Amino acid sequence: MGIKKTLLAVGFFLILGVMSLVGSEVKTSSPEIKITPEMKEKFPVKPHHAKLSFKCTDCHAEQGDEPENFKAIEDKGCLSCHKTKQYLADRLKFMDNLHTNPHNSIHDGPKLYCDECHNEHKPSENMCLSCHSNDVKLWMRPTP
Amino acid sequence: MIKKIFLIIKNNILLTALVGVLVGLLSSWILYEGLHRTSGDRFCVVCHEMKPMVAAYHNDVHGGNGKTGIKVTCATCHLPHENVIAYIATKARNGVVEGAIHFFGNPDKIDWQANRANRQHFVKDEACYGCHTNYKTNESISEQGRKMHAHYASLEGTKNEIGCASCHAEVGHKGLRSMLNYYKPEYEFYKGKLDTKKEEAEKKLAEELKK
Repeated sequence: MGIKKTLLAVGFFLILGVMSLVGSEVKTSSPEIKITPEMKEKFPVKPHHAKLSFKCTDCHAEQGDEPENFKAIEDKGCLSCHKTKQYLADRLKFMDNLHTNPHNSIHDGPKLYCDECHNEHKPSENMCLSCHSNDVKLWMRPTP
Repeated sequence: MIKKIFLIIKNNILLTALVGVLVGLLSSWILYEGLHRTSGDRFCVVCHEMKPMVAAYHNDVHGGNGKTGIKVTCATCHLPHENVIAYIATKARNGVVEGAIHFFGNPDKIDWQANRANRQHFVKDEACYGCHTNYKTNESISEQGRKMHAHYASLEGTKNEIGCASCHAEVGHKGLRSMLNYYKPEYEFYKGKLDTKKEEAEKKLAEELKK
């Protein structure tokens, strides 16, 4: 009956091995929120973010699981992916030549709050427009 | 005739084996050298329309502008590495298509800015994690970064699959959007006003390529 015992032992270790693998995946503590068509309409996401299939909690981290109660994520939230304001200003360096870089303007430098211009769940509003109403459309595309 | 050859082989089995090994080694060496020497910026730029891309690449850590000076070749990131046949086939096809555009087509018509939207198809993810092997667990990556990498992995194989370059927008080519604008401004307003920047870039590029 040696074979039977060996088989049992091997089986036991196999099951134990598989069990140890379960749960070893990267755990994300964020709660799952089902995105319904109504929610999509109420909180539309910008196309460049939509195509990355983000979950609500990827941005609204540690804000619970009730979308109605979510708060704005502020600069820190945006910059957790978008690095730094200087980095963003550098990406539009070609505009510096004509002093039209919105991320490094002659008025504010790279210091504006992200949401002075950019919104995620409603249309963005380019702050430059408040004074340069005629020129902005020549300098840059609509604010993403 | 064939019988005669077989007879010669049979009588000189050792010599035949030796010749076989030599021929094998020689052809692998030629293939290796051929692929190796035709994979870098200096070779590719001859036919491919990619001067601004090369200029931006030289400013990037992947193009030798890091502390260690490590430089990856064009082919490392832009050719498939799953199997050698696909690698060579893609290389050959690109060579012919890009060569044709360069010599007979109209390169000025290429909308580089628009093409950047397809960047995830130009960059081969297996090449990224061929070097960045621990991108999911590396603790020097921010917590959000690791979370996003797990998100990337969770989409693999689904219809919503994304690529490394989907998020890492100018990877391998630091300041690509600006460099493209120096060569071909995306807004009318900048036309003719960034030419000195283009000249600077061209000069630096020529020096880099001479090195």
